[in-house]
Amino acid sequence: MSETKTSSKITIKDLWNTFWRWWLACEMSNSYESMQSIAYCFAMIPVLKKLYPDKEAFVEALQRHLVFFNTEGICGNVILGMSVAMEEEKAEDGVLTGDAIVALKSALMGPVAGIGDTITWGTVKPLIFTIALTASADGSVIGWFLMLLFVPVTVVYGWYLMSLGYKVGKNALVKLLESGWVNRIILGASILGLFMVGALSASIVTLNLSGTYMSAGAEVTYQSIVDGIMPGVLPLCAIMGIYGYIKKKGQNFGVMILVIIAAAMVLSLLGIV
Amino acid sequence: MLGVALFSGIWYSIAGWRPGYSTHEIWMFPLFSALPIGLIMGDVPGAMVIGCAISMMYVGMVAPGSEMPADMSLAGLIGIPIALSIGADTGTAIAIAVPFGVLGVFLNQIRRIINAKFAHMADKHALKGDIKGINRCAMWYPLIMNLVTKFPFAFIGVYFGSAVIEKLLAILPEWILNGLSVAGGVMPAIGFAVLIGILSERKSIFPFFFLGFFLVQFFGVSSIAAACFGVPIAVIIVLMQKDSQDEIMVQVKAASKVDDDDE
Repeated sequence: MSETKTSSKITIKDLWNTFWRWWLACEMSNSYESMQSIAYCFAMIPVLKKLYPDKEAFVEALQRHLVFFNTEGICGNVILGMSVAMEEEKAEDGVLTGDAIVALKSALMGPVAGIGDTITWGTVKPLIFTIALTASADGSVIGWFLMLLFVPVTVVYGWYLMSLGYKVGKNALVKLLESGWVNRIILGASILGLFMVGALSASIVTLNLSGTYMSAGAEVTYQSIVDGIMPGVLPLCAIMGIYGYIKKKGQNFGVMILVIIAAAMVLSLLGIV
Repeated sequence: MLGVALFSGIWYSIAGWRPGYSTHEIWMFPLFSALPIGLIMGDVPGAMVIGCAISMMYVGMVAPGSEMPADMSLAGLIGIPIALSIGADTGTAIAIAVPFGVLGVFLNQIRRIINAKFAHMADKHALKGDIKGINRCAMWYPLIMNLVTKFPFAFIGVYFGSAVIEKLLAILPEWILNGLSVAGGVMPAIGFAVLIGILSERKSIFPFFFLGFFLVQFFGVSSIAAACFGVPIAVIIVLMQKDSQDEIMVQVKAASKVDDDDE
């Protein structure tokens, strides 16, 4: 290891470099074997190159960041920020081991993915995308532009988490959780998310009975009877049925889609739907 | 159809490449490809209406661990041009799109199997400290692989698909098309069910799903109106919880102060 003082070698520009490289390449090389491993290494390259002029140490650092990694890409920025801070610390005084950096990454990717899925994919995305669909359902192009808002919104809090992770280093997540605000944001996002999923599924999931019968000389649809008892009860049963199936059997999407298509065909042949 | 077929092939490859996190979801969303398809085919409003109908199926969809339940990208890129060219209504457009959405899942599994090969190559490049090699594995090889594996399906699907599907629509009995269309109506339930699972880690908040569901079922409010109710509800609950926690803290502090005075 070189003896020259390397403190605060990392500038805001390097951090920004890491951010956009991760943002750009995060999903490109996703594989079953090591998920986002190449993307993580790709994002860390400029920082590692600056910190480790010595080739041997550089190669070691590259290998550290080519291990299995998988998380939600926006909130995952907090982990990248932390590992930049840790690499800097390691390059500076060499006390921190490489294993500690790998261990931190592996320990955090699961919990962070859980938080990120709730916020980015559970709340922010459905909200923006459905508002966009509502705006474009009549053929207008406004919804197309509204949908693009998803990019700046996620980039803003992704960048915030990256700089936070770097500033507070390996204690970032602990500090965040202790402040209580993360838990509150997750609670709020979950409540809003569930409420919106309810509202959206009510307007988007459709399942209607098609049969009719004669009553007092007038044609009555079976669907109107169902609506009279409780509107939307059939889509609700479909959602709850699938939810129960996922809880029990896991996310077996291929099977679910084929069963739905087959069931719809049979019910359609029988004239029920 | 040649122009739009070329477009679909290239767009499908780029969407499969997934440039930009969170943006990758926009690349794949049928509403996004609807505008360029509409411009190429000279019917923007028609393309937007069909794009919206197809997008509805996939709006609640999340990809846990990046495993996609259905390929909305291929469904839109083949479904919109074909439905537009044969003048199909939204129900028929959904029936056309559903099978392609299922087919695309396998293409994406192939993508992630081949990507593992690039991961091994990156390991070797890392040993030599070859940054350019890692860059290629991170970006350019996946792009080439996507162009090779994805372009043909979308191109052929659009270029030859519309004639085939027009004939099929004439031959197929009504119940098959109706069945596909009904399945298209139920499919979003998968995405929403996955979302419910992610969001209801805390069981006590599960009823908020029903609150939103019946608000729309009984009163037919728009999603923006629902959000106008949902945001304050979430804020109230979070702040009330914070207040009660603060109150407890105040009481605890007061109690400990009394103890101090006694001493």
